[in-house]
Amino acid sequence: MRWVDFKDSVKRFWSEYKHQVSGMVGLALLIILFVLALAAPVLTSPNIPKEWQTGQAWITNPKNAPPSWENYFSSVKKAPQKVFKLGDMQVKHQINGSQNVYTLTFSYDMRYNVPPKNIVITGIASNASTPKDNPKVSIMVQRPKEKGVKYENILLLQDSPFPNGGAIQLGYTPQVKSLLFYWLYENGVFHLLMPLQPQLPLSIRLLQLNQQLQMNNTLYSYFQSADPMKILFGQITDSKGHLLPLREIVYNTTGLMGNYKFTLLIRSPKDVKVNLDNIEVTMVGRTFGSLGTDQYGRPISIGLLWGIRIAIAIGLSVAISTVLIGVLYGVTSAYVGGWVDELLQRFNEFMMTLPVLPMLILLSLYFGGKISLTQLVGILVLFGWMGTAKVARSMALQIKEQTYIEAARALGAGTGRIVFKHIVPQLLPYAFANIALSVPGAILSEAGLSFLGLTNPNMISWGRMLNDAQMNGATINGYWWQVIPPGLAIATVGLIFVLIGVSLDTVLNPRLKRA
Amino acid sequence: MAMGFGKYIAYRTVNAVIILFLAVLLMSALFTKLATIQYTAQVDSDVQMWVQGYFKAHHRAPTQEQILNYKAQLMHKYGLDKSYWGRTWMYTVDTFIFRWGNSIEPVFGTHNVVKQIEGALARTILLFTTAQVIIILIGLALGVKSAQIPGSLLDRTISILAMLTTSLPMWWLGMLMILLFVVYLGWLPITLYSQVAVSGWVNILKKMSLPVLTIVTVSFGGWSWIIRNIMIGTMQEDFIMVARAKGVPERKVIYGHALKAAAPPIVTMIIFAMLGSMGGAIITEIVFNWPGMGRLYWEALQLNAVRTMMALNYMFAFLFVFSMVLADILYGYLDPRVRVGAAARA
Repeated sequence: MRWVDFKDSVKRFWSEYKHQVSGMVGLALLIILFVLALAAPVLTSPNIPKEWQTGQAWITNPKNAPPSWENYFSSVKKAPQKVFKLGDMQVKHQINGSQNVYTLTFSYDMRYNVPPKNIVITGIASNASTPKDNPKVSIMVQRPKEKGVKYENILLLQDSPFPNGGAIQLGYTPQVKSLLFYWLYENGVFHLLMPLQPQLPLSIRLLQLNQQLQMNNTLYSYFQSADPMKILFGQITDSKGHLLPLREIVYNTTGLMGNYKFTLLIRSPKDVKVNLDNIEVTMVGRTFGSLGTDQYGRPISIGLLWGIRIAIAIGLSVAISTVLIGVLYGVTSAYVGGWVDELLQRFNEFMMTLPVLPMLILLSLYFGGKISLTQLVGILVLFGWMGTAKVARSMALQIKEQTYIEAARALGAGTGRIVFKHIVPQLLPYAFANIALSVPGAILSEAGLSFLGLTNPNMISWGRMLNDAQMNGATINGYWWQVIPPGLAIATVGLIFVLIGVSLDTVLNPRLKRA
Repeated sequence: MAMGFGKYIAYRTVNAVIILFLAVLLMSALFTKLATIQYTAQVDSDVQMWVQGYFKAHHRAPTQEQILNYKAQLMHKYGLDKSYWGRTWMYTVDTFIFRWGNSIEPVFGTHNVVKQIEGALARTILLFTTAQVIIILIGLALGVKSAQIPGSLLDRTISILAMLTTSLPMWWLGMLMILLFVVYLGWLPITLYSQVAVSGWVNILKKMSLPVLTIVTVSFGGWSWIIRNIMIGTMQEDFIMVARAKGVPERKVIYGHALKAAAPPIVTMIIFAMLGSMGGAIITEIVFNWPGMGRLYWEALQLNAVRTMMALNYMFAFLFVFSMVLADILYGYLDPRVRVGAAARA
């Protein structure tokens, strides 16, 4: 085929294709998909594939959190994820005697019925060489005004050491709970048999408080089951300003909406350098982002975005390879004929006889049960070419009888020349349409194997996400955001290729054009 | 060299049996290899356990001879004392002549592989073949109907539906069904799908409802569409035109002439689908906790029950080969042109 002819036929093809509505819709969607796949590192972070399994990046994310927009459909508003970075805080640096003191303040606008799940502080770096030199973090909170409450300021944490690369999870720190109960006690929510003596140091008072709590069964059960965040962000008086009983505060918390002023005090010895550039205070949400998170706190939206790459890579490489192999196999079989044809056909039937999914599972176990992308493509190609070969053979049998083939043979053209120059080009339209139509099958197979947990877990694929969801009992627990999006993505990508394939078929194989 | 249709069928059958045997041989080679790896590890850990146990009981280590003896016993139990090809051949022949024997670990509550497969097959037929019958009936009805008026609303809906459902993972739809009907609407109890066993016909029917709905939803669009295409192809043939010109009523043209002429490919499809449905679907059965053929395979895999896996794969292959031969026979029976053509070509 000459270049001019090629250009011409492409032009003709395009002028017909652009009138196919479904084909154009499919093409547009495919382009969007490609753009998203390429932009994934820019839209998120290029380290995602490395971080996906290790989980370090997701430590501050809530687990199994629904999407934040669920709030619009619910009367109970749940706090979304909120991160305060250095830029969001006011920073003051003083040198107090032998110590560096950093004071960081920010205010958190709490407008939710259900407060954040946890508060996590990360990213305080220092050049401390011994543990005792590690910076020490104290946290004070000024709650919004509440009628009938004596003390609005709470000391939440005192001098908690912060090692490099560490994290403070206020929700799970015992000291935080004790200090919150101390604050409740100070406000008179509950009384102790032996009142705490204000002249004693705080640490002694806390010790006494803990001891007395443990001695009183009722109080201690409240203490055990209390969620520190619900106390911190909850009302402790009713609308008239009367103190609520402790059981109401612990079990039937109502969020106290308003501005919470947080003050972080970070102290370190003068010769220890503290770097706060990466500090993050995360209000861990009860809801998260646009699509929620899975059981490891990984955002579903990120998995969905990166999954496009695997889906397209597998879909296209498998489809192209299987169709090319199938076409060549079928054409060779038809053209050579005789016992070779017979043998090739029997081999084709042999391959078709092998049950696909059981064999795929078996082969993936062969490769250690955690097959990589290339191995997966190889296996899917191995079991994917037979159908195409059968159709290609029967088409080639018809073409073989055409007079121009006979003429070519009379002119002394060899088998290879006739097959590649005269028969295969005739089959290309069928091949192109078939490639597009084979993509969904390949993606479905990958999803199935991943769902069974047989592929490499480092691969961010939609099947893998559904596997995680299944492991997590997402259907039974009603975590719809872990189940619906990945499957919908699989179906959508499949549909895009079907739309394109059907349109290609209509344009390229005019015989199939019907009423 | 002309041979009769009978001979042609005989040739195809022999051919199918050979292919089936080769397929079993290949699968056997693969399974034996896998089993060797897993059983060797099993033997090693068993021996270590035994040595530790012995030490606890007798306060001294067993002699080297005792260890070797025990190991040899285990090797014999797992069949590792025979050569790789010896075992491969043994599995192949045993599987091929339905001498399936016992699996080392019990699967579905029994060691007897024939019993395991009987039970699983019955449950798979109950679910998947029932669903397949429904799909075929709906497919035929909608396909024929939409072929009557190509381009009608029904016709276009079916085309779109077929496109939408081809790329839908069946097992994912199953998860959605559980999410919707069990978790959110609460129409069915959660225990129905969180555990395998259910008792009583009413509960079995209830448990069947969602998987059947899932399978039918995924497949009926595609079926209707294919039947529509076959029918449209037939309706454009000259003899239909002649029948219409003669004034044969449209109903009779469709159900008498066209459907009869379109029967061979449709019957072939039905054969493949019905026999294929007996293989179940691994992932869908896992999602719905349905103890059929697919789940049996998955559980056998987890337990290294090689004989069960071999027998199951043999069943899958057997069903396919059997459909191939059956389709050949029925095709020739329904379409005289094929009968003559096949005989002439052979």
